[in-house]
Amino acid sequence: MKIKLTSVYVSDQDKALRFYTEFLGFAKKADFSQGPFRWLTVASPEEPDGAQLQLALNDNPAAKAYQEAIYQQGQPAVMFFTEDVRGDYERIKAHGAEFTMPPTDVTGSTIAKLNDTCGNLVQLTQLARW
Amino acid sequence: MTDRAQYTPGPASGAEVRKDGEQWTLILVRELRHSPDKVWQALTDPAHLREWAPFDANGRMDLAGATVTLTTVAAPRPHVTEATVMRADPPRLLEYNWGDHHLRWELEALAGGTRLTLWTNIGRRFIAMGAAGWHICFDVLDHLLSGSPIGRIVGGEAMKFGWQRLNAEYARQFGIETPERPPQTNQHS
Repeated sequence: MKIKLTSVYVSDQDKALRFYTEFLGFAKKADFSQGPFRWLTVASPEEPDGAQLQLALNDNPAAKAYQEAIYQQGQPAVMFFTEDVRGDYERIKAHGAEFTMPPTDVTGSTIAKLNDTCGNLVQLTQLARW
Repeated sequence: MTDRAQYTPGPASGAEVRKDGEQWTLILVRELRHSPDKVWQALTDPAHLREWAPFDANGRMDLAGATVTLTTVAAPRPHVTEATVMRADPPRLLEYNWGDHHLRWELEALAGGTRLTLWTNIGRRFIAMGAAGWHICFDVLDHLLSGSPIGRIVGGEAMKFGWQRLNAEYARQFGIETPERPPQTNQHS
């Protein structure tokens, strides 16, 4: 058993693809459709055969309620690990993304949070090295 | 089920696209050697749809105004949408939505059969995939109407029956240079 995929609900798949590729720097991995259903995933270019992130269209009322509630609480819907959270913050901010939390030292890591424009907060995490 | 094992779709044919920016319309035409009444039933009765269509319906689709739950069959995760039947003029015209896809079916009586035309809006990127999928569904429908059903072929199952070739053929016909490939063959892109 392996963890190869996780999903994030997004309000618009084309818009999400732009954010996760152009802003965050991931690469499109799979994109196919069956009628109105579209299976869309991205992966990290640093780990192309690593875990995929599915960008799932949020047309599910239960998921919408959950997404809105955790967004209002400031909870990230998804979290990525980086070796350089401050560098990523500067690069992505310069591209025009809206950060709701600049790089902030917390227990064991430095984190930053930004809006993915599709209904979610994304957390970037750099683990502290001891 | 030997008929199913022997099934191979013919070459891509009977499809055209209308292009309007990124949002294209796929138009598929298939002539069937069965009466419009019989074809109408296959399009609107959930028990018939289950034998050939890429979705399951939880109710009859032959009444304008009816709302029906459509479940995409064999999607990688459950995909359920509410559909509304916008027009139902048996056995000639049927319109409903499947998610954000609008489907319009027209049935024209021919000598000894029916010319079935489907119009559906579909993104440029997916239009060859859609044509390939419906092509196989229509073949399965034809077998069903002829009384020799071979069982529904949708989702990943279509990969075993020449879907990739049809996808490539339709992509060429529609002037799409590089058809998107399914994930099974997309490991290194």
